[in-house]
Amino acid sequence: MTGIKVMEEISLRGLLPCVFRGMEETERIRQSEVWLSGELRLTRGCRVCIQAESGGGKSSLLSFIYGNRTDYLGQILFDAEESRRLSVEDWCELRTRHLALLPQELRLFPELSVMQNLQLKNRLTDYKTEEEMLSLLERLGIREKARERVGLLSVGQQQRVAIVRAVCQPFDFLLLDEPVSHLDQTNNLIAASIVEEEATRQGAGIVTTSVGNPLRIDNAVVIQL
Amino acid sequence: MKTRSDVWSLLSRNLSKGQLIGYAVANVVGLTVVLIGVLFFCDSRNDTSGEDEFFSTDYVVLSKKVEGVGFTPVSFSEQEIDDLSEQPWVRKTGRFTASQFAVNGSLSMGGKGLSSYMFLEAVPDEFFDVKPRGWSFSPSEGFVPIILCKDYLTLYNFGFAIPQGLPQLSEQVIGAVPITLRLTGKAGQPETFKAGIVGFSSRLNTIAVPQSFMDWANERYGDGTEPPASRLIVEVDPLAASDMKAYLTEHGIEMAGDKQDAGRLSSFLGIVSAVVASGGIVICALAIFILILSVFLLLQKSRDKLRFLMLLGYRPREVARYYELLVTVANVVVTLVSLSLALLSRGLWSEALENIGLGGASLLPTLLLTLVYLLGVTLLDVGIVRSRVMRIWRGN
Repeated sequence: MTGIKVMEEISLRGLLPCVFRGMEETERIRQSEVWLSGELRLTRGCRVCIQAESGGGKSSLLSFIYGNRTDYLGQILFDAEESRRLSVEDWCELRTRHLALLPQELRLFPELSVMQNLQLKNRLTDYKTEEEMLSLLERLGIREKARERVGLLSVGQQQRVAIVRAVCQPFDFLLLDEPVSHLDQTNNLIAASIVEEEATRQGAGIVTTSVGNPLRIDNAVVIQL
Repeated sequence: MKTRSDVWSLLSRNLSKGQLIGYAVANVVGLTVVLIGVLFFCDSRNDTSGEDEFFSTDYVVLSKKVEGVGFTPVSFSEQEIDDLSEQPWVRKTGRFTASQFAVNGSLSMGGKGLSSYMFLEAVPDEFFDVKPRGWSFSPSEGFVPIILCKDYLTLYNFGFAIPQGLPQLSEQVIGAVPITLRLTGKAGQPETFKAGIVGFSSRLNTIAVPQSFMDWANERYGDGTEPPASRLIVEVDPLAASDMKAYLTEHGIEMAGDKQDAGRLSSFLGIVSAVVASGGIVICALAIFILILSVFLLLQKSRDKLRFLMLLGYRPREVARYYELLVTVANVVVTLVSLSLALLSRGLWSEALENIGLGGASLLPTLLLTLVYLLGVTLLDVGIVRSRVMRIWRGN
């Protein structure tokens, strides 16, 4: 796995969270286009929005793909390579250069400033200059917060910081877990245009989840979880 | 560089200075006590008064007490030797081999000749800490190296040479004087050999020749009987030597040499320092335990941060490095402080020990031990940090 240049495809085969075991025949699982769906392919350059009810397992799905949870049945393949077989080194490389994730709980460090939080991600690849990061913050209307501690920001502001952090790295797939749940329509559109621009520039795919307030990206394929 | 320190400033927020200082103080105390014990042990074992270049203080020469006038030679029986060998304070026993032939030694110096009947003994080679140069004999070369008891030379220089009008001799001079040995057996003509004094010993009160020469000569000139074991050389375990005196008195055995007191004192001090050092080891073990607990606690407190960092793409090795650096620095500081304290406290006893002929031992064992401790404890800590970080990676 190490040394791959580009990840072209993520495929999910017969995936099911362990907690849903025994519920295979329920209506919810039968109707799902993801769980136990034979094979679901996400290709590089795709725009996918996974819609789900609360508790449907969308955060779990992104965690399975991102490799921080393995309590699932079935297989996740990155370009035909089974993800469970990846080494620690492989995962670090993937998370640094191929997969970007904006988790629902943001995982920012409240004791550090906005800029320090961005730098923590950015310094792994030195992907963006400080100017570029500041201009992204400016577009989202929080440039003046750059030196402020994240813990002092509102949840909406924190969400915007996390969106900027997610694009501070090269990626083939950008996974966004309810990225705009705390944003108004204006900021939703700005966030959408930022991630679109970044993904398009890199030829990358966007996989986003939503329970009702989807990220407003154009022509997204909607998949029911 | 500035951003690199972001990770550190993030992780260091969970550091507890109190715990770290607690560990450092406890470990400094423990390690200092251990090092003092070791230094003191080395010093008390370093007998500077009766330095013997061939035999260490761990050897004693034993003989049976002669009562009245004995016409049958007093010697150790096989049973007695076996019994002795089994004593806890005995590491190794060897027997002196006496010559079973008449020996006449002569030397001439500045026109004056000196000739005397004498005796020779041999000690097994394995009892030499350092073998004198040329300590071997082959019949074809015909040269016999000799180690002479220091006391004999003193006796000659101060008891004999002055009243007889003979010159006093230094060790260097007498070593350069050629000696002629004339050996006469029960039957046959006397034969002569060249000999020379190759060294002096304060622990062997005899005229010693190589075992190989003695075996060869006894076979050639002796009457063929096994020579009795009149004297034994014994390697003593200094830490168990307290039982020795009682045993010797009970069995009517005498210990040769006047270094017994220093030896006994040295072994007593050895025990004292062993006790001190074991106390220090206990304190150290507790201190290491505190450090391990602190590292556990620290990693536990930083668990989410470490997890988040690794989810951002940081390698476990990379985040572990900050903790590895921390424990390494802590251990190096603790070790250096302890070593300095121990070396400083050495001043408290060095003069007192010097006055009784001990002290001034090499620092090498202490320094080596310190290094081994530092490496050992640091490796242990680093191992724990790595395995904990990997557990956090796996999410449990």
